[in-house]
Amino acid sequence: MRTPVYAIIDLNKRTSARFEIDESMYRKYIGGKILGARLLYDLTPAGVDPLGPDAVVIINTSPANGTGAPCSSRFNMTFKNVLTGGIASSNCGGQFGVLMKRAGYDGIILRGQSETPCVISIVDKQITFSDAGELWGKDTEETQNAFPKIYGKLVIGPAGENLVRYAAAVSGERVAGRCGAGAVLGAKKIKAIVAYGTQRPYVAKPEKFAKYVKKWVSFLRNHPMTGEALPNYGSAGLVSKANATNALPTHNFKYGHFKDAQAVSGETLADKYLVRNSSCISCPIRCERRVQVDGKEVKGPEYETCGFFGPNIDCISMENMLRLNYQCDLLGMDTISLASSIAFAMELKENGLADFGVSFGNSDNLIEIVEKIAAREDIYGELANGSKWLSEKYGGKEYAMHSKGLEMASYEPRRSVGMGLGYATSNRGGCHLNGGYLALLESVGVLSMDALSTSAKPAFTAFFQNALEAISASGFCLFSAQSFVPAILFKLGPHHKVTRAVGKIATHMGGGVRALLWMLPILHFNSLYLFPHAEVLRLVTGLPFYTGSFVHLGDRGYNMERLYNFREGLTGKDDSLPDRLTKMPQDPNNPRTIVNLDKMLPVFYRIRGWNTDGSPSKRTLRKLGIRV
Amino acid sequence: MPYFITGDCNGCTACAKQCPVLAIEGVAKERHKVNIRRCVSCGVCGRICPRGAILDGHGNLCKSVPRSQWSKPVVDTKTCSACGICVTWCRADALRISLPAFHGDIHVFAELYQPNKCVGCGLCEENCPVGAIRMAEVRA
Repeated sequence: MRTPVYAIIDLNKRTSARFEIDESMYRKYIGGKILGARLLYDLTPAGVDPLGPDAVVIINTSPANGTGAPCSSRFNMTFKNVLTGGIASSNCGGQFGVLMKRAGYDGIILRGQSETPCVISIVDKQITFSDAGELWGKDTEETQNAFPKIYGKLVIGPAGENLVRYAAAVSGERVAGRCGAGAVLGAKKIKAIVAYGTQRPYVAKPEKFAKYVKKWVSFLRNHPMTGEALPNYGSAGLVSKANATNALPTHNFKYGHFKDAQAVSGETLADKYLVRNSSCISCPIRCERRVQVDGKEVKGPEYETCGFFGPNIDCISMENMLRLNYQCDLLGMDTISLASSIAFAMELKENGLADFGVSFGNSDNLIEIVEKIAAREDIYGELANGSKWLSEKYGGKEYAMHSKGLEMASYEPRRSVGMGLGYATSNRGGCHLNGGYLALLESVGVLSMDALSTSAKPAFTAFFQNALEAISASGFCLFSAQSFVPAILFKLGPHHKVTRAVGKIATHMGGGVRALLWMLPILHFNSLYLFPHAEVLRLVTGLPFYTGSFVHLGDRGYNMERLYNFREGLTGKDDSLPDRLTKMPQDPNNPRTIVNLDKMLPVFYRIRGWNTDGSPSKRTLRKLGIRV
Repeated sequence: MPYFITGDCNGCTACAKQCPVLAIEGVAKERHKVNIRRCVSCGVCGRICPRGAILDGHGNLCKSVPRSQWSKPVVDTKTCSACGICVTWCRADALRISLPAFHGDIHVFAELYQPNKCVGCGLCEENCPVGAIRMAEVRA
């Protein structure tokens, strides 16, 4: 076994020190966002300013990163959430993580604040600092081009420098977008971190690992979801599915169906604009879109961007959306939070509360406005604070579409109530991935659980929150888990009686999933069809990881993050959604089309072993082995 | 075991230019040095050195080999999953993921599109997770 090596970087003095993670801590928290949450809890006092000099930013990898296992290039950034004040973990598939590991470090911890803009380079275990000079002010593409091509880079754009609260950090063409990852680096005055080295990652059982990776790659390539749907249409392929089930946020989440959604769908993108598909390193799924816009080949949009710069602001111009997506990457901004804040500003104008020069149905002036937001120019500086801040100043809290302060992703919770519970309880705010991503089982996948029923949703949400937490923390892309829905159901199609029956049965499987959660310690097996990640983690680390202990690891991570949130003042009261989702039915004729949080939350807390106020109980913490 | 440059080096920079991991440092016309933290023992420097000034990891003198005889990657297009690991290792920019054969083609794979730039380091073969790359001598 090899314990992870981290570097602690003091930006005030521009010094660094190397240290190894303690073995017992490594066994418990492994890496990525789970270890990040533990370190952040231990290293920061309560109540630090996320953009202040005492804030700590952890950028780390996991044992599986860079080993060549499928979809294993994702590194993690953990810091105090700029938008919510709770925990933030932002996951990115860029080259930086793999190259940082090759440079000899599993993670870096940034403390203090540099006086002048700087660049940190991590090359062959040596960490050096230099002044950013003319790079400060440049966009993310220009900044990355200033370094050798073979280096892994993590940079911020003008939005991060100007502390836009939802600024993103960019690595290659992939983005650590959510929660303000760019803003925290900007506050520390770090323009770029680059890494290069040739050290090979440690694999405990290399021969078995190589065999298993081949098996898994072939499984992913032959599965209809990861081998056909995602490579063909990318995540944007979900637009038409969500639209068909009324789960596509339209007009700032007022409706769930957009009549012209086809114009901004993954199918239209693939037909008219797609040049080729691409991928993060070591990913056989290849869901990234490369599109042609204004005579240039650039990165294409994901589902969230299609939904938010399309139906959510009532626009059907795909060209404008592609330009906005590219512009956001150059400026270093999260498209979800940005577009949701813009949609909120549009509704404020519609209701006569504030006018930011944006209105529903018009995306022609958005490029200009997005640039002004990144520069925090004039009144647009207010849009850079996110929709929670705007709703506190101008009113309209009932339709400010965020949870805890972080804007929700593009799934309409009133037509996938489990996703609504996920948004409300997610540790980092309105995030679909941290929230359990039940939309995949309710409204956008091949399976269709009863999307309006609250039955079984708390149990499924808890299970998937834990599972996705563990997958993220072990360095894998969550898309690699999409293959857990059996291939046969895709072949039969969503309307086949067998598929429908499976969906119906799942709606009543709450008790079964709860039993599964209790039985974790005895789930002593690994399956290619369920969580191959656990087997890879077992072969890479040499530690006894099985399906049960893997999900248990996610549970520990989720509770650790929850503890951090409680310490920072985010309590069970913040497990809430805007009134639009909980009190106003999406379909006025169907009162069931709301998210009945009051019914689901107590059950969810009980399943998770939390107290009635939403805090993890002492018994649960003891069971998970978390000591505070 | 890292390679070593002996005193016979006259600083012609041939090895430094071709090293796939930029592990050779030094100024022109002066003896060069191998960065032992970075050297991956691929043997490119040994094959290219016109002076025979390079010792391999076991201390044996490397023989210069004409460029036409260097082995090059051959990709098994059926096994290759186009994950791109080989492309990220290739500093020479000799490999890329193939372009789609037609609009909407998703069956792409790694290909040697600039064979002249390939230095035959074998890092692509070594790091391919599915074993789709094999280094072979390609005869023109």
